[in-house]
Amino acid sequence: MHAWWPPSAFRGMSAVAVFATAAFASPLASAQGYAAQWLMRITQAARTLNYSGTVLVRQGSRFDTFRLAHMFENDQESEKLLSLDGPAREIVRSATEVRYYFPDAKVVRIEPRTIRNVFPSLSPEQTANLAQYYEFKLTAGGRVAGRMTDVATFEPRDGMRYAHRFWADATTGLLLRSRLVNEKGEIIEEFAFTDVTYNAKLDKEMVRPSWTSVPSDWRVTQAGPGDFKSDETGWTVNKVPPGFLKISEGFRKLGGKREPAAHLVFSDGLVAISVFVEPYTVTQTQIGLTQTGGLAQYSTRSDAYRVTVIGEAPPATVQQIAQSVSRNKP
Amino acid sequence: MKENISRLMDGEVDDAEVQRCVVELRTGEAMETWMCYHVIGDSLRGAHGVSVHALSAQFSARFRTALAAEPTVLAPPRERIRTSQPATFAWAVAATVAAVTVVGWTAFSVVDVPLTTNAKAREAASVRAAQVKPQVDVASEYLLAHQEFSPAMAIQGGAPYFRAATATAVEPQPKP
Repeated sequence: MHAWWPPSAFRGMSAVAVFATAAFASPLASAQGYAAQWLMRITQAARTLNYSGTVLVRQGSRFDTFRLAHMFENDQESEKLLSLDGPAREIVRSATEVRYYFPDAKVVRIEPRTIRNVFPSLSPEQTANLAQYYEFKLTAGGRVAGRMTDVATFEPRDGMRYAHRFWADATTGLLLRSRLVNEKGEIIEEFAFTDVTYNAKLDKEMVRPSWTSVPSDWRVTQAGPGDFKSDETGWTVNKVPPGFLKISEGFRKLGGKREPAAHLVFSDGLVAISVFVEPYTVTQTQIGLTQTGGLAQYSTRSDAYRVTVIGEAPPATVQQIAQSVSRNKP
Repeated sequence: MKENISRLMDGEVDDAEVQRCVVELRTGEAMETWMCYHVIGDSLRGAHGVSVHALSAQFSARFRTALAAEPTVLAPPRERIRTSQPATFAWAVAATVAAVTVVGWTAFSVVDVPLTTNAKAREAASVRAAQVKPQVDVASEYLLAHQEFSPAMAIQGGAPYFRAATATAVEPQPKP
């Protein structure tokens, strides 16, 4: 039994908005309205709530646990994800940058935050694509991390993408569990809060790096804001899977490399796939397919270039894109 | 002695040595090693009727004890692995203590997981490669450049950074 939408899911939405959505004539039109609105609601919750908790992540047969703290203050987000298993790697996101601490490698990566949660502004075309390429279902879910949830399922209508299942806190809208399922029905990646605490005001220390200063024997690699330039790259993907739209194109300087790489990004509204094209050099040995949980990466050589495609999609999809990259016809 | 048994199975010993090996095999310990190497080889080659489930509990216990007593060698002789014929691949592998450790780990840690024998052999090979070239890897440039564009980053808050946090050196699979 699937209720079309549990009352709790749209708590907080104005009655007018619900009425307007319900007034859509065709079921498909209303479905795309629901899917996009539901995603917008949980996106907003993830951004504006103060919360901390323990997160369990499963990638294939591998499990890891993390402590996640998120603070929203003065319209700014700060966040810290700390690995509780193995090396104490941590990732700290502030309004302006993301810092990656890898104590095992003695490396700190500092990346500017160029994109800030672009998601809430889905274009009408993307909203329509969501409904066309995924079947959206919203049902009442069980408890996750001690909280009642609503479950949203995005079932793909073709084999080019994974199925997504989201459990969101029925009261706050925060995503508490998320699952990627392949075409065989196997869970290939999952993340879930095992406990979550909502704080009206979070201690600032919880979202600060554990290192007040970088140890002297660590390597600091810092990318500048100018490392990405939006531009026409002269490269094109001939077989873009249906439903994927180009959301970004430009040149990006990848750490340690002289020549900037062309970087194109495609998205179907739920996932993104990046395409990198750079001059081929013999020192780059990683040609082929790698898959870590829901993330697939495929590298191939195309004449004097190396094409690398990475995204949260099945290997075949990523491979298809990589093998159809070519120069724009003049 | 174990080295001799391995070479005997690879057909790398001369007649005089064969005689000595056969004498050695009369001792219980040598015979156990001989059997153990054969089970590993059959398992790696995907021989019919051999599965980790078929290993007796007694054998497992003995294997574990023997394994615990082995010294740790991090770098197996790669040269020998490369020059081995495909049919004797398993013996070259078995001849290195590190590889035996890998096989042991594979055989005993995944009893409940329905991996194919081939997958196990691949896994053993990749773990061996990792042992040959120890390295600490950080998240790839591609991942870091890509992830900020992922809608998951908005939907799930900062949780998707786990991908960067769990990044390890991964050997890509060869082209199919």
